[in-house]
Amino acid sequence: MGKTAKTKSIGHYYEMLSRYLLPQRSALIGLTALLFGSIGLQLINPQIIRYFIDTAQSDRSLEPLYYAALLFIGFSLIQQVVSVIATYVSENLAWRTTNRLRGDLAEHGLKLDMSFHKSNTTGSIIERVDGDVNALANFFSSFIIHLGGNLLLMAGIVVLLFRENVLIGAGMLLFVIGAVFVIQWIRKYALPVWTKWRQVNAEFYGFIGEHLEGTEDTRANGATGFVMNRFYGLLRRMLPIRTKAFLGFASMWVTTIIVFALGNAMAFAISAYLWKQGSITIGTVYLIFYYTELLAKPIEKIRTQIEDLQKADASLVRIRELLGMRPKIQDGPGAELPSGPLAVEFDDVTFGYDDEPTLDGIRLRLVPGEVLGLLGRTGSGKTTLARLLLRFYDPREGSVRLGGVDIRECKLGELRTKVALVTQNIEIIQGSVRDNLTFYDESVPDERMIGVLRELGLGDWYDSLPQGLDTPLASGGGSLSAGEGQLLAFARVFLTDPGLVILDEASSRLDPLTEHRLERAVDKLLKDRSCIMIAHRLATVERADKIVILERGRIVENGPRKALAADPDSRFSRMLAAGLEEVLA
Amino acid sequence: MSTFSYMWRLIRYRPGWYVFNALVWTAIYLMPIVPGLITKEFFDSLTGHAATGLGTWALVALLVGFALARSATVYLGFITDVNFRFRMGMLLRRNVLEHILKRPGARAIPGSPGEAISHFRDDVDQSEEAVSWSVDVFGMTCFAVVSCFILLRIDAEMTTLVFLPLVIVIVAAQLATTRLQKYRAASRESTAKVTEAISEMFGSVQAIQVAGAERRVTERFRKLNDDRRKSMLKDKLMTEALDSVFSNTVNLGTGLILLLAGHKMRGGEFTVGDFSLFVYYLTFVTQFISNFGKFLTYFKQMAVAKERLTDLLQGAPAQVLTEANTLGEKGREPGAARLRANASDRTEQASAVAGHRMNKGPAVIGMAAEERLEQLDVSGLTYRYPETGRGVEDIRLHLRRGSFTVVTGPVGSGKTTLVRTLLGLLPQDSGTVLWNGREVDDAGNFFVPPRSAYSAQVPRLYSDTLRENILLGLEDRGGQLERALHTAVLEEDLRHFRDGLDTVIGPRGVKLSGGQAQRTAAARMLVRDAELYVFDDLSSALDVETEQKLWERLFADRGDATCLVVSHRKAALARADHILVLKDGRIEAEGTAEQLLERNESFRRLWSGDESGS
Repeated sequence: MGKTAKTKSIGHYYEMLSRYLLPQRSALIGLTALLFGSIGLQLINPQIIRYFIDTAQSDRSLEPLYYAALLFIGFSLIQQVVSVIATYVSENLAWRTTNRLRGDLAEHGLKLDMSFHKSNTTGSIIERVDGDVNALANFFSSFIIHLGGNLLLMAGIVVLLFRENVLIGAGMLLFVIGAVFVIQWIRKYALPVWTKWRQVNAEFYGFIGEHLEGTEDTRANGATGFVMNRFYGLLRRMLPIRTKAFLGFASMWVTTIIVFALGNAMAFAISAYLWKQGSITIGTVYLIFYYTELLAKPIEKIRTQIEDLQKADASLVRIRELLGMRPKIQDGPGAELPSGPLAVEFDDVTFGYDDEPTLDGIRLRLVPGEVLGLLGRTGSGKTTLARLLLRFYDPREGSVRLGGVDIRECKLGELRTKVALVTQNIEIIQGSVRDNLTFYDESVPDERMIGVLRELGLGDWYDSLPQGLDTPLASGGGSLSAGEGQLLAFARVFLTDPGLVILDEASSRLDPLTEHRLERAVDKLLKDRSCIMIAHRLATVERADKIVILERGRIVENGPRKALAADPDSRFSRMLAAGLEEVLA
Repeated sequence: MSTFSYMWRLIRYRPGWYVFNALVWTAIYLMPIVPGLITKEFFDSLTGHAATGLGTWALVALLVGFALARSATVYLGFITDVNFRFRMGMLLRRNVLEHILKRPGARAIPGSPGEAISHFRDDVDQSEEAVSWSVDVFGMTCFAVVSCFILLRIDAEMTTLVFLPLVIVIVAAQLATTRLQKYRAASRESTAKVTEAISEMFGSVQAIQVAGAERRVTERFRKLNDDRRKSMLKDKLMTEALDSVFSNTVNLGTGLILLLAGHKMRGGEFTVGDFSLFVYYLTFVTQFISNFGKFLTYFKQMAVAKERLTDLLQGAPAQVLTEANTLGEKGREPGAARLRANASDRTEQASAVAGHRMNKGPAVIGMAAEERLEQLDVSGLTYRYPETGRGVEDIRLHLRRGSFTVVTGPVGSGKTTLVRTLLGLLPQDSGTVLWNGREVDDAGNFFVPPRSAYSAQVPRLYSDTLRENILLGLEDRGGQLERALHTAVLEEDLRHFRDGLDTVIGPRGVKLSGGQAQRTAAARMLVRDAELYVFDDLSSALDVETEQKLWERLFADRGDATCLVVSHRKAALARADHILVLKDGRIEAEGTAEQLLERNESFRRLWSGDESGS
């Protein structure tokens, strides 16, 4: 089982590398050249020292010793310059590749459906798209330099030792293989704890994020102490896990200390034996010692590389998990929706988030240009119905058709430009007013935006903006009132040209005065468009042609508004009466 | 506060752990002295210069034995290190979090939450790193002193000539690191932008999907990433160049030894063993120098981190960061085992220390008797948003005990701003607030239970059980919770949740509808015994029936509590003792509904516009 897991994990690395690293071919080739140069220089220097010691021990002229020393210094200087350049190149490479990955992850994440976004806090997504990718970046950047380069250096040393003497060469080869094996073996124990540490870390920042957003509620309800206690509770869980993760690191370090002591011991024993036999000079004894010490560097680097790998391993698993998550909603083959107002049809649609159906056997028809008022208690399934129209979810049974086309046949992009949704939650992004209106779509001319703002009664507001459309809006709305935010959301819809508009409690935050101002704009918006108005207030649906009342996911009443209002036995007219009572009370 | 005293205060937070950690790490750094001497002895034994006469096998055994001893010390070192740095890092996070929770709630952090999270994560890590490395610097200095002494005894001239250039390099590098700070700040800045962008993209994911803007948004994100790459590269190049200068010193040193050692070796006063010892220690001295450089870099980075964490405090002194508070453990004795032992009893204690127990502890009862709200007077209350200059101005308000006051007005007229400013959730620019005639200085700390409770327009719920979301640590005494659930019309919804009150909500659990969230927030407010209830647009996401029930129950259950409500619903307006009509941040008119209907045009329009019944 271990073996299959291992080959699988190597497969993952290969897939990642070939997808992100291989496209940067020229940088890779340059880097390889730099590496070879640097390794060659590192291998030559000990030879100079051996020549030096043996010459110093003999009776030959001392003059060449000075040249040897100068050569030594010169080579080390060049080697340093080369290694700085190599690091720069590899760092650049790593950022380029991981930035692509970051972008891809974000793009992928944005395409995933709501069920994903509801089960992940923003904090934990930051951990994935940035934290996990960072762990991977270390791996990318040092992969070539440290893993490739050091393996090469190691091989060079072993070959050169074989040239000196087969015994010492064979001994060192065994040592290197043993060392790498032992270090790999230790790694297995450290990995799971590391994964756990990253998890609890993600949870921790999720917690911090939530509470940074909820300061108002916490503060005014005197819950500061409660939040701090939860914080302490998390700390108590984190410390033991972090200790274990650190001890995992310690084990790796300790292993190298012991392995190298053993390596040196072996070098001592073999070279002492060969020296006593007279088959090597004292200079060569030193050379063997020096190369053994030099081996420490690549093996040490490979160790840190493996540490990065550990982090990368855990991160890679999560990244792949995220990338592998297919949105349940897939693009259709690309049927076109007709332009102009859209007819809406629900054919026996059943849908549920879990086993219990939220919508049950919904059958609904709307001719183009009609306005439907959708009423029902909280949780009766109104919002779910809207989500199905935008394909945030697909029905479990039955089908949804727009203009006669099953929406599963359409491209999502096409569908969502033809269907607009304004919800009760207004999402203001950090950026300018323009960014918020168009979501960075640069093709929308300023005049149109300003025109729409004025039309919606945001003219005064627009005039008060110090930098016009370029005025930055704080994330979450900040200085905007909730109502203004809602008007802005309306403006977004006006700027696209949908054939169906869904207003989901769209005016719930508006006071009647502003709502009144909006009426004209809404009239215009609904002209030549179909509309579904989700409401729990009655006046909202006054302009509806048809009324549908939902209860527990079923349609309990369906008919023309006027007819229902006139029928004293209808639920709708009872609702109207209840509203009236409220005023009398 | 200087970076140095910042570090010093962090060290002093848990001096015991720090000293212990320093001792262990000094031992770890000093230990390589011995293998160097063993190596020298090995070469000298081959060339016949040996001082001890130990054979090859004895030396080999010593070498391995010593490695085992060092390994044991390394294990210990990691335990002490993690214990110290964890406490220190979490102290910083704790202090920042607590401070943020004390700030006016609506302006608690300067930027977006995503940005703040990156400070919580990276800037604290940076500080942690610097302080932790100070221990290493001490250990390495000890190593340098001892090895220097040994080398000087072997050959003073050579030691001086080899070590002198190293000192020069340290000074030069020290000067160069000042430039590093700039690059570091730039790269952290661009990182924060990236984190922020992620936080926002995924925070607004539905809007982005609805707008079909996935690709455009990602394009912008990719651009931010590329900016980060550029600033990171500059940063990295500087660091790497410095690093290489540090480590190249060793090769320079070895070269110098070679230059000088030629004739001495020929003469026999400098053995191959001595040479090996020089080079061996030099290698460790490289590590020392580059680690010292690393520490200096970390130290500089800590300066940046400190600045950024201080910015997060929005004006409070940096000392707040390092205040020696407990981390929920009792007393000062550290120790992970003990930390876990009496978890519950520590929680108690911590909450007593950390904050206002909102319930009726004896102290609070005393206060309540004396401070029972008879009247609340507000005059000249003003707050303007610094970005737009809009807000509320010169608000005058009088609340009697048991009264029900409604604030109404069109969108953007400042209703929410008014209640936030009153409660200290926004810092007022001017104005006085009198509680029973006594001036309230610190509204933010004053307007908490048992004096007041609040439910926000867009309430935030946390990933926790419904019960915890409502109680927020409060103890449920005498069925308060049940009453609050009833008043907030939540009992019906509860029946549909499989785990009832223990249903976990939020990202990892059940997602509540807008109306359910709002009623949960109402319950959160109502479960607190308060003199004054302030609610902002309580019913905006509710259906008619539920809303009607809510108002009815609220009126029936509130007793003689005073209410200040933001609403434009008739149900609220008709019941109000007093109504304030806001326009453009000022009070345009006030009175009862009847009076206002007669006198005020805006109010008439608000009233007739509300459809709930017409």
